[in-house]
Amino acid sequence: MVRWSIAGRSGGGMRDAEFDFAPVLDSVRGIRWPARSAVRGGIPGTHTSRLRGTSAEFTEYRPYRQGDDLGRIDWKLFARTDRAYIRLSNDRAILPTTIVLDASASMAFPAGSAAKWKLASELAIGLAAVARATADPVGLCIAHEPARLQLPPRTRQSVIREMIRAVSEVEPSGSAPVSPSLLAATRVSGRVVLITDFLGDADDLQATAARAVAGSREVHAVHIVASEELDPSRETLLVADPELPDVRRPMTRDSREEYLTAFASWRDQLSHALSDAGISYNVAVPGIETADHIVRRVAAGRVTAALR
Amino acid sequence: MTLLAPGFFYAGLVVAAAIAALHLLVTRQPRAAVLPTARFVPDLPASATARTTRPSDLILLLLRMLLVLAAAAALAEPVVIPSRESLARVILVDASRTTADISQARDSAKAVYRQGDAVIVFDSSGRAIQGGVKDSLDAIGTTTRKGSLSAALISAVRAASQLREHRDSLELVIVSPLGDEEWDAATGTIRKLWPGRARIMRVVGRTDSISRTDWEIVIRAPADDPVSAAASLVGRRAAQPVRIVRDGVGTEDTRWAADSGGVVVAWPVTVRPPGAVSYTQVDTAAALISDSSVVVAPFGRRWKFPSDSVAGAIVVARWIDGEPAAIERTDGLGCSRSVAIPVATAGDLAIRPEFVELVAALTAPCDAGRAFNPLPPVAMASLAGSGGNAPRNAFRAPSDTRSPVAPWLYLLALFTAIAELFIRHRAAGPKASSPRPAPIIASDIQS
Repeated sequence: MVRWSIAGRSGGGMRDAEFDFAPVLDSVRGIRWPARSAVRGGIPGTHTSRLRGTSAEFTEYRPYRQGDDLGRIDWKLFARTDRAYIRLSNDRAILPTTIVLDASASMAFPAGSAAKWKLASELAIGLAAVARATADPVGLCIAHEPARLQLPPRTRQSVIREMIRAVSEVEPSGSAPVSPSLLAATRVSGRVVLITDFLGDADDLQATAARAVAGSREVHAVHIVASEELDPSRETLLVADPELPDVRRPMTRDSREEYLTAFASWRDQLSHALSDAGISYNVAVPGIETADHIVRRVAAGRVTAALR
Repeated sequence: MTLLAPGFFYAGLVVAAAIAALHLLVTRQPRAAVLPTARFVPDLPASATARTTRPSDLILLLLRMLLVLAAAAALAEPVVIPSRESLARVILVDASRTTADISQARDSAKAVYRQGDAVIVFDSSGRAIQGGVKDSLDAIGTTTRKGSLSAALISAVRAASQLREHRDSLELVIVSPLGDEEWDAATGTIRKLWPGRARIMRVVGRTDSISRTDWEIVIRAPADDPVSAAASLVGRRAAQPVRIVRDGVGTEDTRWAADSGGVVVAWPVTVRPPGAVSYTQVDTAAALISDSSVVVAPFGRRWKFPSDSVAGAIVVARWIDGEPAAIERTDGLGCSRSVAIPVATAGDLAIRPEFVELVAALTAPCDAGRAFNPLPPVAMASLAGSGGNAPRNAFRAPSDTRSPVAPWLYLLALFTAIAELFIRHRAAGPKASSPRPAPIIASDIQS
């Protein structure tokens, strides 16, 4: 059992937090994560490739056309039918996968438990482990200030351990945009998992993700929403945005209702926009679902509607 | 001490109480908390109002209340009222031409004068004597002006308004010969403004310096002159020799008036009257007013008396617009009158009674030589009045009373306002220098 602790790190609100990735690694064992469509690439793997070649796995015959390799003609069939057919077979390929993790200040919420960041980290490690189990190269890209942290996709055994170490060494802070990290991930991976709360550069993220899908990339978005954001305290508070210092607004009984309406509407629009762009969209709420359930949902290709 | 306008002070008390109440309502920001989705909260003023049992900003509260109360007290004009005595007198001393011996009037006034009384010397107008009353009385002398009891009574009522704060009742004392020329149409009405009786102290009036013989009016004019016709209707009513000159007055005429004590009336038909200047265009006037008559007729004014001609002269008749139509100047024993009234030869103007009255007024004895006639008994009784002395409440409080404290209260309010501004700015200083909101610490976070 692997146990990683972040105790003793510098920082304020998360100094005493301790993340244990062992349960999620145990619970995601055995989950398969097939590609949503045939993948490109020639390196043999487990995902159906767009290429049809000469592998041992027979698929179908096709009439010979001028230009086909004569060596691929099935001569025995030619002898029986007096017609030339080409023997086709499906290729299998790997699908490099990169997890893009938002480490902005809004992910360190609620202070003390940092439930959003904890769930995001567990999802990142869990999904990476699932991808790694299907022999896909996995990488990690953490959008963080002052510098982006990036692990390129690798298939070696230690990649999960390196990812855990990288996640453990990051404390969410600042307001670094996530879209550059997403763009960098789509350049090296055929599958990108975006784990964020979309409270930074949501518009740029949508545009970048949509372009990646148009470029035959597989993009999964996991929207991390804290339960405190869905149901804030009914006490009158002056709420402040950790990423926008100028935003300080009173949460009263009346404004709370308007907030709930506005927030739900925004999530609804975001869900529709991402789904329309062909992006798999899932909402993850800490405390409502465990990380392995969300991993199974993402891997199975099921999509959750925006929470009301 | 009393307040001249207490309403302002009561309003100030209400405002001060409201300020104190407002200081019990404090506006404060609610507890801060982090919420990443705060941008979806409506952008409203981030403050809430709460009540406290202790007023906030005690120094500011005191300064603001002091400011309001000082301004209200200044507007209310506090005045100190001294203790009142029982009686004060308003003594009217006649120094007009009617009084023959001013020393007699002076002694009479001194006899009734007590400290705190008001003394008013009057002829055609009244003048209150300020300070050193007895010395001032010694210095007064008679004037050549006609006395006016109306002006004297108006001054007495005004003085009574000043005295009402210090005395319970007021007595009116009139030291005068009380000639009939001092009584006019308004005197009776004005006398009623002073309730109660008046003490009348009569002094000797001026004796008549002119013989009481009736004189014929001599007129030098063309045969068909309308003024001649009007003068003939006046008859033998002249108490002084009168000469009406219609063909231009000469030095012989003026010398005659000065030597004989007569009246020469320069009333030329065509030439410019003495002291008058011509209008550039003939001006029309609808009426003419003298002491005893009003003549309404279309007059074509050809001359007017400039202000330097009127200076030192007596206006005997005026046009309806107030312009002098006839003026009188004393000349030796007599006087000369310059009349700028054109009279049309056509029409019945010359024989109308009001015009005859006008001619009689223009041929009346000189103003300085008029005989003294005592006030008629009815007017005398009206002037003396009845009942007791006038109570203080019968007179309106003077509206021009000034509070000696008010300027200092205004100054205090101004100083307090500046201090309040300074303290308020100093209190707000640190907030203004840090536009960014205060950082939110972890303990504030509502999770």
